[in-house]
Amino acid sequence: MWYGHNLQRSYKYMIFASKMPSLRIDQSDLKCKNGCDYFGNPQWQGYCSKCHREQLQRQRRAEKASSATLPKPEKKKPEQIIKLASHSSFSKFEEKRLRQSETLKKANLLKFSVFKKGSADEHDHTPERKLPEFKIPPQVNEGMKREFRVRFSNLPPQVDRESRVFVHNFVMDVIKCSNVMTVDELSERVQRHYQHFMKYMDTSPHFANTESEVKEQLIDFVEKHAMTYLHDLPGVVFSPAGTDDERLDRAMSERIQQLSWVGERHLECRLDRTDSRTGQLLYKAISELLAVDGAPGPGGKLARVRRACRHVLALCGAPASADDLLPALIFTVLKANPPRLVSNINFVTRFCNAQRLMTGEGGYYFTNLCCAVSFIENLTAESLNMDKKEFDCYMAMPASIGGSTWAAALSLCGAVREAEEQRLQAERLLEDVKTLRANTIQLATNAETFEKEIAHKVQDVLAKTPLEIKPRREPPKLSSLRNSTIPLIDLDTPVQTPVQIKPPEEIPQIQIPEINPVEETATMTFDKTNDGESTQNIIDFQSLDKPSPPKSPQNQPWELKQTGSFELLTPSPLGFIPFDSRSIDEVMTPDEFGSDHLAPGLSNINYDIDLSDFSGDNSLAEDTPKEPKDPFSPDGIKKEPIFDPFQPQTSQSPYNTVLEKFDEFSLVDTKSNEISEAFEVVHKTQNPSTVDFRPNTVPESTDPFSPVQKEASILDDSGSPTAASLLPSPLQPQTSKQS
Amino acid sequence: MAVQGWHQTPLPSVATKLLTKSLLLPGVGKTSLVVRYIGKMFSKHISPTIGASFFTCNINLDDARIKLQVWDTAGQERFRSMAPMYYRNANAALLVYDITSANSFASIKGWVKELQNNVPEPMILSLVGNKSDLEDNRAVTQSEAVQYAASIGAAYCETSALHDQGIDQVFLNTATELLNLSSSSLVASLRSYDSTDYDEKLPIGIPSEEKATHTGKIELPAWTGDVKHGELQRSMCC
Repeated sequence: MWYGHNLQRSYKYMIFASKMPSLRIDQSDLKCKNGCDYFGNPQWQGYCSKCHREQLQRQRRAEKASSATLPKPEKKKPEQIIKLASHSSFSKFEEKRLRQSETLKKANLLKFSVFKKGSADEHDHTPERKLPEFKIPPQVNEGMKREFRVRFSNLPPQVDRESRVFVHNFVMDVIKCSNVMTVDELSERVQRHYQHFMKYMDTSPHFANTESEVKEQLIDFVEKHAMTYLHDLPGVVFSPAGTDDERLDRAMSERIQQLSWVGERHLECRLDRTDSRTGQLLYKAISELLAVDGAPGPGGKLARVRRACRHVLALCGAPASADDLLPALIFTVLKANPPRLVSNINFVTRFCNAQRLMTGEGGYYFTNLCCAVSFIENLTAESLNMDKKEFDCYMAMPASIGGSTWAAALSLCGAVREAEEQRLQAERLLEDVKTLRANTIQLATNAETFEKEIAHKVQDVLAKTPLEIKPRREPPKLSSLRNSTIPLIDLDTPVQTPVQIKPPEEIPQIQIPEINPVEETATMTFDKTNDGESTQNIIDFQSLDKPSPPKSPQNQPWELKQTGSFELLTPSPLGFIPFDSRSIDEVMTPDEFGSDHLAPGLSNINYDIDLSDFSGDNSLAEDTPKEPKDPFSPDGIKKEPIFDPFQPQTSQSPYNTVLEKFDEFSLVDTKSNEISEAFEVVHKTQNPSTVDFRPNTVPESTDPFSPVQKEASILDDSGSPTAASLLPSPLQPQTSKQS
Repeated sequence: MAVQGWHQTPLPSVATKLLTKSLLLPGVGKTSLVVRYIGKMFSKHISPTIGASFFTCNINLDDARIKLQVWDTAGQERFRSMAPMYYRNANAALLVYDITSANSFASIKGWVKELQNNVPEPMILSLVGNKSDLEDNRAVTQSEAVQYAASIGAAYCETSALHDQGIDQVFLNTATELLNLSSSSLVASLRSYDSTDYDEKLPIGIPSEEKATHTGKIELPAWTGDVKHGELQRSMCC
C-alpha cells in the first residue's frame, strides 16, 4: 500500500522534527531528503520545494487511481491534532486521515462481522479484512429492508434478515473475487451463490409452506439488490476489467451503424412502413431496447427485453412464431443500435440467475435477442440472400448515407408519440370536463328534487297536522270581566240544564265527577249557543263546542274564532294555550275531550281568564255583545271557569292593574292573531279534515260571546292596512273572505 | 420446451424443468399447430402478444403436474447457427414436419443429427407429422416416418391442426415421457420437486454444486468470433 510507505516516512519526519529544538543540527538534516543538493524544509516534509511538489503529485495520482477502482473510502476528519509541527504539510494531514479512516473501517467491519454471525452461509471473512477500504453503503441494507417489508410481508422476519446477510456476503465476496478471478470464474461463483440461496430456501424451515412462486420472487429480489449495487461499481461485474466488452460494444455499435441500410426487405420480415401503428410499435420496442442499458440489475434488463420483444411480436401481427419474431427483432435491434449492447448481454448472461435465464418468457426473449445480436455480428451477403457484390457495395459506403426511410419514420415517431400523448391528455381533460358538467347537472337536479321533496313534506305535514290558529282572544276588559262574572253566577244554574241536554254524547266521556259540573255548565251554554247559531253548527259539533266556550266569549265570529283559537293560544300567555289546545283536541275527539278537558280546563281556565280579560279590554264595544252571548250557552262553560278566577281578580284591585297592562300586549297580538286566523280558515275551507275543526271552531266561536267581540276586532284588523299586510299569504285572504 | 413441475399440495407434484424445442421449418404449420393447442388451453384469453413463439402449459398426469415451457425456434436456414442457443438445456423436442413435403421430412433428419451431436443429455424426441388432413397429397408415408422415429427413439404421431386431431396427444406423450425420464435418471436440468414428501428435504433433481455451476455457466453468444455463420457450433453444447 502506498500509504504504508508514507507512514514510515512520516514517522521519520517526526523524529526529525523532534530533533529540531536540539542545539546541534546536522548539515545532512537540513538537506533535501531526496538527496538533491538543495536544502529541505520541515514544512515540506524535509524535501526541497521541487521534490516536495513532485512527491505531492505522486501521492495525489495514486489516490485518484485507488478511488477510481475502489469505492471511495469514508471521509472522516481527524480528531487528533498533531502536536509536532502543527503547521504540518497537507500530505501529513492526509496520512493522518488515512490512518484514522482505516481504523474506522476496521470498526465497521467488526460491526458487520457481528451482524454476520447469524448468517447461514459460511464464508471466510479473511478477504474482507484484507480489503478494509470497502464497505457496503447502508442504503443497500435499508433499501432491502424496506422492500422486503412491502413485498414479502408474510414471510418471517428471519428471512428478511438472512436474505440481507446473504446479499451482504454475496456482494463482499464478489468484490473480493473480482480482483482475483477471471470473469467466467466470477460468473460461476455468482451462480453458486444463487444456488446456495435456493438451497437455503429449499431447506430452511421458514419456507416450509412457501409457494415456489414466492421463492422465485425472493431469489429475484436478492439478485436485484445485490446486482444493482454491483452493477454500478465500475469494472466489477459490468464490462469488467480483463474483458474486451467495451471494445466489443464499440465494434457492435459501428457494425450496426454500417448495416443501417438493411431494411425489412432484406430480412424478409413483413412490416408495413406506411402503417402508423407499425411505426408506433417499432418506436416503443426501440425505446425499451434503449432502456436496457439504464436498468441496473439483470432482472430489470430482462424485463426491458421482454417488453421490447412483446412490442416486436405485436409488430409481427397475431400468432407470430419465432420465424417472424427473430427477423423483426433483428430489424429492431438494427434500428435501435442500443448502447453498450454486448456489455449488457454479457452482464445478464454471466450474472443473472441462470435458473431464470434458462426458463420463462424473459429467458426466451433474451435468447432471441442473443440470436439477433449474433446474427448481426455474423451477417453476410448469404444470410441476407443478396448478391455478394451488392452487399460489399452497401458495406463500403459511409454509414451516414445508408439511412433508410425508416430513420425518418422513426424520427417522426417521437413527434407523433408526443402528439399522441398530448391528444390523450386533452381527451382526458375533456372527459373530466364532461364528468364535471354531469356532476353539476346532477347536483342541480338533486337540489331541485330536494327542494320539491321538502316542499312536499312540508305540505304533507301541514295537511296532516293543519296548523289551526285560533283567533287571538282579546282579553275582556275589566268591564267585560265584570260582566262575565254574571255568567259565573249563571253557571251553577245552567250546569244542570246542559247536562240534561247533552248526556247522550258527553256523559260517558265526562266520567270525572268533578269535571262534570263544569261541563254541564258548558253544555248548558252550548245548547244556548246552538240554539242561537244552529244554522252554522251541527249537533255533534255542539258537543265539541262545549270545550271551546271559554274562547267563545272572545270569538264571536264563529268560524273565524274557531280557527283563531289556536292563534290566540299561541300568542297568548301560557295559561291560555293549554286551554285552547285542549279544547281543540276535545273537538277532534269528543271522548277525550270530556275527561281531559274538564280537569285541565279548570286550571287553564284561570289563565284564559286573564287573557280574555285583556282581549276584552281591546274592544270595549265587543264586550257588550259578549255578555249577551255568554249567557246563551257554550261560552257559559268556559266563561264560567274563566270568569271564576276573574271574579276574584276583578274584585282584587292588583289584578286589574295587571290586566290593564296586558291590554297593550293584546293589542299587538291581535295582528298576529289575524294572521293565524287566516291560516286556520284556509284549512277549514280547503281541507275536508278541517271540517272537523270547523265544528270545533264553530262551537268555540259560537260558544263564547266574547268571540263575537273578537270577530269584530279581527274584522277591524283585516280592514286595517296592517292586517292586510299581515295576511299576504294566500290562506289569509281566504280566511278573510270566509270571515 | 421447459417442463417445470409445479408444487401442488394434494398431489405429489413433479417439477421438471425441461426445454423442449419445436424445431420446425417455415411453412410447416407449426404455428397453427401451436395456436390450436394454446387456443384450446386459453380459449378465454389468448393474448396476441404472447403469440405462438413462447408459451407455457401445465399438464396434469396421474399424480403429477408438469409445466411445459415451449420455445419456438426460428426454422429458417440462415438462423440455423443460432439454434444451439435455443435448445441448450432442453429436455424434449418436438420435431414437426409436413407429411405433404418430403423436403421438410429430410430437414428434420438434419435437425435430429444436430441434436444428437450437440446435446449430451437424454432428450425426448417426438416426431410429429402435421397436416394429416391432406392425406391426398401425402409425400411421406406413415411407415417411413414410423421407421425413422423408431430409429431415433422418438414417438411418432400425426396431427391435423386444421381438424384439431392428435395435438393433445403430442403434448401428453411428451409430458409422460418427461415424467419417466425425471424419475428414472437424474438429469441436471430436469428439476423435479416432491412437495408432499417432506422426508426428502432436497428436491430430487436439484443439481449438486458442481452440476449447478455447470448448468449455470452460459456460453458467450456467438459474437465472440470463433463461430462462423452457417456452421454447426460444436462448442456450444454444455
